[in-house]
Amino acid sequence: MEREKLEGLLIDFIDGRLNESERKEVKGLLNDPEVRVLYEQLKQVTSAMDRSSELNPSNRMFSDFQQMLKEETAKENAPQQKQVFFTPTVYRAAAAVALVMVGISIGYFVNKFNAQQETIARMEQERQEMLTNMSDPISASSRMKAVNNTTTMSTLDDVFVSALVKTMNEDKNTNVRLAALEALSKFQQEPKVKQELIAALAKQSDPIVQIALIQLMVKMKEKGVLNDLNRIIEDSNTIKPVKDEAYSGILKLS
Amino acid sequence: MKKLVVIMLVLIATGAAHAQEFKVAKNTGRLELHVGRARIEGHSGNEIIFTSRDGDKERDPRAEGLATINSLGLKDNTNGLGLNVTVKGDVISVYNLKKNNSPDIRILVPKGVIVSFEHEGVHGGTAEFRNMENEIEVSAQYNSVELENVTGPLTIRTIYGHVEATLGSTVKDISIVSVYGYVDLTVPAATKADLRMETSYGEILVDPDFKIEFSSTSDDRVSGKMNGGGVAMDLTCNYGKVYLRKK
Repeated sequence: MEREKLEGLLIDFIDGRLNESERKEVKGLLNDPEVRVLYEQLKQVTSAMDRSSELNPSNRMFSDFQQMLKEETAKENAPQQKQVFFTPTVYRAAAAVALVMVGISIGYFVNKFNAQQETIARMEQERQEMLTNMSDPISASSRMKAVNNTTTMSTLDDVFVSALVKTMNEDKNTNVRLAALEALSKFQQEPKVKQELIAALAKQSDPIVQIALIQLMVKMKEKGVLNDLNRIIEDSNTIKPVKDEAYSGILKLS
Repeated sequence: MKKLVVIMLVLIATGAAHAQEFKVAKNTGRLELHVGRARIEGHSGNEIIFTSRDGDKERDPRAEGLATINSLGLKDNTNGLGLNVTVKGDVISVYNLKKNNSPDIRILVPKGVIVSFEHEGVHGGTAEFRNMENEIEVSAQYNSVELENVTGPLTIRTIYGHVEATLGSTVKDISIVSVYGYVDLTVPAATKADLRMETSYGEILVDPDFKIEFSSTSDDRVSGKMNGGGVAMDLTCNYGKVYLRKK
């Protein structure tokens, strides 16, 4: 029989946990001197363990242990007390401040975002109003105002460029056309605007706007319009002041 | 006001005497005048009233019982004023029927009506505007334009004519362009305006009492803020002079 199994059997035998047949078997085994020795050893250990549970630590040992425990607790508590006094308060304050700041900044950003959205919405509305007013069929001064408002813009997007070009070339009112030309000429550096201004010279039917356009081309030193100027001079419908301006333009540009 | 009433009474009297009066019941919209000359005045009524200023000298006894018709096929529908008046929605169009001799008409206009005067031909006279708070547009080639006691907004352009304007106490946006004529504008000294005056070959003359802060000047243009800035005031002459006077 294996030793481990034997030991287990013997221990159970000592503890009296075996049934009848098993006890008989163990008793048989005990005739073997080796098993007998093992049995005696196990019995000693088991009885010692049983007795040990009844052992109480001596008073001295107990007080020593108490003393040790106290010391340990004191050691542990000493720095902890310090922490309780300062750190959590500071943490709490810091946490409160942080929370307030987070709250404020969230509020600020939400507000800012809302304000931005509002500004964007308002600007979009103003843009739309300007574009609508630019084609007001009844009032020239309303169209004029819309055109003049574009001169406060820092940049001119494509929608406004084409709206202003349309006004400059097609509006019924000369003064409005002139205002559109004026507004566009502020952005003459931009290639698209420049191109439209040059192209307008060939399209323009209003003599006063023609004069203003020729003057602008001279200011821009735009030599590419010499052919257009010649065509204006040769056109029998061109009135004298426009012809004069075109001659003067040709002189200055060539 | 009193003056206005008197004018109206006189008008009604003359109108009645010649039986040459035509009314359109409109106090909003846009009155488009395609006539050679006219005197347009503001009034507090609700009708646009056309009357003749020609008197008897233009009377043609042979024309009795006949109506003028012009090349556009338009007929005189104003009891012999020599005009054709049609109303289409918000727009009241008035056409001159005599080709070479524009009838001299006086038109009384309610406050809410925008008045547009448009004339291309040589045969015409002065477009006169008196005592009006209306928006006024003029697009002319040979006509001179004279305005008295008006507030604007004004958008006026003429090529050969001059423009003379005296503004009332309130002033709105003004844009005046003349190629060969002069522009002579009288405004209250306290007018707040963003001023832009331009002339290619003429001169710019301004009352020294005006408080104008010039922001930019170039060889043919001055821009500046009058009394701190306000309404847009653009005055442009190519060959004529620009005069800016205080009232």
